[in-house]
Order: sequence, then structure tokens, then C-alpha cells
Amino acid sequence: MLILLVLAAVLALAPSPAGAQAPAADNCATCHLAIGDERLEKPAKAYVEDIHRAKGFGCVACHGGSEKDAGMEAMDPAKGYIGKPGRKQVIQVCARCHADATFMKRYNPSLRVDQATEYATSVHGRKLAAADDPKVATCVSCHPAHAIRPPSDPKSSVHPLRVAETCGACHGNAKYMEGRRLPTDQLAKWRESVHGKAMIVKGDLSAPTCNDCHGNHGAAPPGVTWVGNVCGQCHTVMADLFAKSVHAKAFVDMGSPGCATCHDNHAIRPAGDAMLGLGGDAVCATCHGEGDKGGRAALEMRGLIDGLAGRHRAAGALLDRAEHAGMEVSQARFDLNGARDALVKARAAVHAFTPAAVRAETAAGTAVADRAHARGTRALDELAFRRKGLGVSLVIILAVIAGVLLKIRQVDRRGRATEHG
Amino acid sequence: MAHVDDPSRRRFVDWFLGGSVGAFLLAVLYPVSRYLVPPRAGESAAGTVTLALKPDDVKPNSGQIFKFGSRPGILVRTAGGELRAFSAVCTHLNCTVQYRPDLSQIWCACHNGHFDLNGKNVEGPPPRPLEAFTVNARGNQIVVSKGA
Repeated sequence: MLILLVLAAVLALAPSPAGAQAPAADNCATCHLAIGDERLEKPAKAYVEDIHRAKGFGCVACHGGSEKDAGMEAMDPAKGYIGKPGRKQVIQVCARCHADATFMKRYNPSLRVDQATEYATSVHGRKLAAADDPKVATCVSCHPAHAIRPPSDPKSSVHPLRVAETCGACHGNAKYMEGRRLPTDQLAKWRESVHGKAMIVKGDLSAPTCNDCHGNHGAAPPGVTWVGNVCGQCHTVMADLFAKSVHAKAFVDMGSPGCATCHDNHAIRPAGDAMLGLGGDAVCATCHGEGDKGGRAALEMRGLIDGLAGRHRAAGALLDRAEHAGMEVSQARFDLNGARDALVKARAAVHAFTPAAVRAETAAGTAVADRAHARGTRALDELAFRRKGLGVSLVIILAVIAGVLLKIRQVDRRGRATEHG
Repeated sequence: MAHVDDPSRRRFVDWFLGGSVGAFLLAVLYPVSRYLVPPRAGESAAGTVTLALKPDDVKPNSGQIFKFGSRPGILVRTAGGELRAFSAVCTHLNCTVQYRPDLSQIWCACHNGHFDLNGKNVEGPPPRPLEAFTVNARGNQIVVSKGA
């Protein structure tokens, strides 16, 4: 009874608006915080920092009801009160505003309004629609209700640095994912991958995380035939070369997932020359051997790249020696950048899977590296000449000193001989 | 004491001394003359470089690569006429970037990375913006410096 009196008194205050203006007094929150029930307090406490509250939306925007009425009358289903939305209802509640372009334009003109449409195409959305799967993610699984922040906020569950944790809360939880055909090591693998390390260790927010490859609202595994398009969002040169290569069709025929066939999907390691060829860590050896055309091409491409890498390294080392010895080789070093560019391009050209494409890059790079090497050699030759010159000068100086001493001795002796004679 | 007045020995010492002095002068004068003639490609690796370009040589919506120590830099004149300079080393895998007048962007051919005219990475794999340099056009000279 006391609670009802408190509710009535508090709700008698000015009603909160459902829309654009910040609520003068949030009746729902006031009561929820006063009741003393932790379950009811929690959303009211969390909502203080929610982006929707900051934009002036009160509880009734999602939960319905009437903010003009006090007490329990505000929560009358006849007045649109829905309480806690059900799983399917959540999508509708959010989409009511977020799928309305005219409405959303008033708050964030650049925000997309197709999240609900995308969600319907996702594995989550399809499973929810088909079987009302109680475990699949809905809006509030990733955007926690009452504590929603914009993705640019580092505290947001969908900030680039936290997306993996958010997805991993379910997908990295073996118990939660029990009975599903999906593995649960994706998060651990991604953390160790070149992408994960770029994001976590280097703090590179442009590094891909879960949603960059799987989509966010339309989250689904990339299909075998379009993995290249996904990777190609960033790795455009390699994706273009791959799409025109013999492997594009061959991989589809084999049911292999494009780029992921060689580079893996979540555990993508830094690409290196060791992946090319037929020995050790070479991925080509998975399908090819020395006896087939592909194997021979792999070996030839590896040879071309190793050749240029070796020449680039040798020229760089030579210029280092010359520079450390005090010779001016900055122009040669500047020009050697061209060989490094060619090496990087040659490594990208491997994705055409033809030695000719690689050779086109390595030939130009080799010429540049050889020129730089020759200039380094000349610089060291000049250094040797100067050192020899210094040695000769020292010998001459010593000879002068010796000559002067001998002359002095001679003059002294002659003087003494004259005195005695 | 006869050997003291030995003429052949005296001549040898005179010749030896005269030859040594001549060689000594040569050894001193040669490096001095080499020092006075400037080297062909001498350039400081310090934080400022004066470009071998005049401001009028760089047309609007164009860019030029220049040597900054042993590293490449890129000087860009925007369509609006402003001169800007950045390190021309791509932040992805260190390739040398170039200016694309058709896009009005700085572009890396190695992996198709794009940078806007503030040096910010806007497309492709580059993870960071290009290092920005300070450009000062002093009369007919363009001076590019590292840092603000």
C-alpha cells in the first residue's frame, strides 16, 4: 500500500514526453528506483547513460503505456503498454523508429535504416523467424537494452575494440553454443590472427573484426563463392587478381572458400614468402606437387621473389655499410625504395598464380636493386681509396719527420766536425 | 767521422727530405682541393629540405615526389591552390605513394590504398594516415620540414 502511495505521489509529477524533448521528470525511473526491487532498479539505473535518453526518449518510447497517467494506470495494456518486449517483439519495437528514414533523419541523418531488413536475412533473424530459437541474438543481445551507446563510444558493446567480445559472449561460449554445428574457437583464433593483433595490440580500429566479414545486422558466414568479395573490401589488388586467376573457378568447383583456403578464416596469420612454393609451410603443397604445372609455377614464383628479396637485402646491407662508414649514399637508398615497392607488388602478383605476372614486377625491381648495389660498391671502393690515401699520407708524413730528423742530425754532426777540425 | 761528410749520403738525405716535403704538400693540397669542390649528391638527412622545385612548377590538382633524406615525400597542390606535403611512404607496407589527379587523392599502387589530401587513410589496407610535413613557400623556394 505504501508503495502504491509513493508511486501515485511520484507519478503525479509532470509526465515525460515520448519524443524529442528530454523528460522533465522521468516518472518510470523515479518509481523504479524507489521501489527497492533490484530487478526493477537495474534498467532505470542503466538508462541514465543510454543514447536514447540523451536524445529525449523516455521509457514509454519502447515499453508503451501512458506517461500522462499516474500509478499503475500508466501501465495499462489498453494504452499501449507492452512491458518487457518478447524476443520477436524487440525487433519490431526497435524497427518502429530505426526503419523509419523520415523519423531517423531528425536524429542522425547518416544512420542506416535497414537494420531490421538486414537482420531478417541473418542466420539469427532466420532462426528467430522460423523456430523462435531462444538462443539467437536479437537487437538487445548486442545493443544491451537500457545501456545503448553509439558505436563510436569506446564503452559501447559495438565499438570496434569490443565487437569481438560481444559476438564472443555467445560464439566463444561452448556451453551456450552446445548443440550447434558451429565451432567456438573463433574468438581465440581471431585474437591470435594478424587482424586481431592489429586491432588489440596495435589499436588499429580499421582492422577487421567480426562484423567486417560477417556483416553486423545481417550476420552470416560468407559463402564459398564470395569470400573473395569480403576480403576484397580491403585487399582489393589481391582479390582482383584472384578473381581472374585459375584458382577462382577451381576453388568453387572444389567447394573451397576462396582466400580462406590458403589464408584460413579466423586464424589468419601474416602472409609471408614461406607460404609460397612446395616445402615447409608452403600452402601450395596442400594441392600441388613438383610433378604438376601448379607446383612448378609455385616454385618459380618463389624463386623470383626470393631472388628479388635477396638482391634488395644485399643492396640495403651494402648501403648500410657505406653509410655507417660515412659515405653519402642517400640517393642510392632513395632509389632502392623502388625495389622494395616492386617486391611488395610481386608478392601481391602471386595471386594471379602465373610466374609471368610475378616476373613483370621482379624484373623491374631487380634492375633497381642492382643499380643500388653498384652504387654501394662504388661508395665502398671510394672509401677504400680514401683509406689507402690516408695511409700513404701518413707514410709520407712519417718520412718527412724522419727526413727532418736525419737532416738535423747531419747538420749537427757537420757542425761538430768543423769545430773539432 | 768521415762518413759525416760523405757527399753521396748527404745528397740522399737532401733528396729524401725534398721529396718528402713535396709529397707532404701534395697530401695536404689534394684533400683541400677535394673539400672545396662540392660532392655531387650531398644532402642532409635533417628535418628540413629545400626542394628543387619552384612553387609555380606544381600545378593545382597535382603532386610531385621529392627526396627527404633517403625517404620519399610527396608535395601536393590541392585544386584550391594550397601546397601540402606528406611522407610518401605508405603506412601499410612502406611502398611509395603517388598523386591521382583523377581522384584528387594520394594513392598507393601496391595494394590500392587511398589517402585524402589531409593524409588520412580513407580506403584500402593502410592502417594509419601519412606523416604530414610543414610546407613553406619562400619566394621561389619551397621548404618542407618535419613536425609543426
